[in-house]
Amino acid sequence: MHKPPRAHPPLPRNWWLKHRFFIAYMAREATVLPLVFFIACLLAGTVALLRGPDAWQSWLGFMRSPPVVALNALALAASLYHAWTFFQLFPRVMPLRLGKRAVPASLMVAGQWAGVLAVLLLFVWLFGRA
Amino acid sequence: MTKHHPERRQAYDEPLWWALFSAGGVCFALFVPSAVLFLALLLPAGLLPADALSHQRASSLLFGLPGLIFVGATICLPLFHAAHRIRHGLFDLTLGSDGTNKWLMYGAAALFSTLALGVVLLGMLR
Repeated sequence: MHKPPRAHPPLPRNWWLKHRFFIAYMAREATVLPLVFFIACLLAGTVALLRGPDAWQSWLGFMRSPPVVALNALALAASLYHAWTFFQLFPRVMPLRLGKRAVPASLMVAGQWAGVLAVLLLFVWLFGRA
Repeated sequence: MTKHHPERRQAYDEPLWWALFSAGGVCFALFVPSAVLFLALLLPAGLLPADALSHQRASSLLFGLPGLIFVGATICLPLFHAAHRIRHGLFDLTLGSDGTNKWLMYGAAALFSTLALGVVLLGMLR
């Protein structure tokens, strides 16, 4: 089987450091790393809850330790940054029309933030009382 | 004029991974901010009412249908989102081979999703 010669030399591993758009792209990709940490915490919490009150208390203690709080604060910032970029994509990928009029992109972005607010209110209702 | 490339296999499974990636992206943006804020910041800081997440109340919230939905929206789908992005991040950094990374990443996402859903189901059976 004939193999065509490579049209381009392979990219160096640090190609994304050479332009700020590429750096922003890689930073956005990296928002999943603190997310994975938070998911691991949550998964440990569900297992602790199943194992009983003592395990649940020690999980609460683990969640209070400063490095864990710091990483989870980073996860919150990362999730909001992801949301901010993700919500701007929706009107571009799937522009909506109402009759003959195009729905303004800013309205679609605002609608998605309203969704975040609705989930926040649901959590307040669930966890804001004993 | 169609050329046959036996070395280039069509990724028939890509729509599945992409659908899970998209659904996970929606969950990451909509549900994860509130989940992190309440469970990983306000709860450890003692800013929630004392018994809001006592072992008894947390169990009654998690071990039921709402708990299954919660685990799906904050663990399983975001895991597949993360797996897809890490796989492509590794490709961008030319680390490992994509064929191996793919099975490692989606395999881990599937394994831990099954574990999380299994915990909730076990809790419901008790």
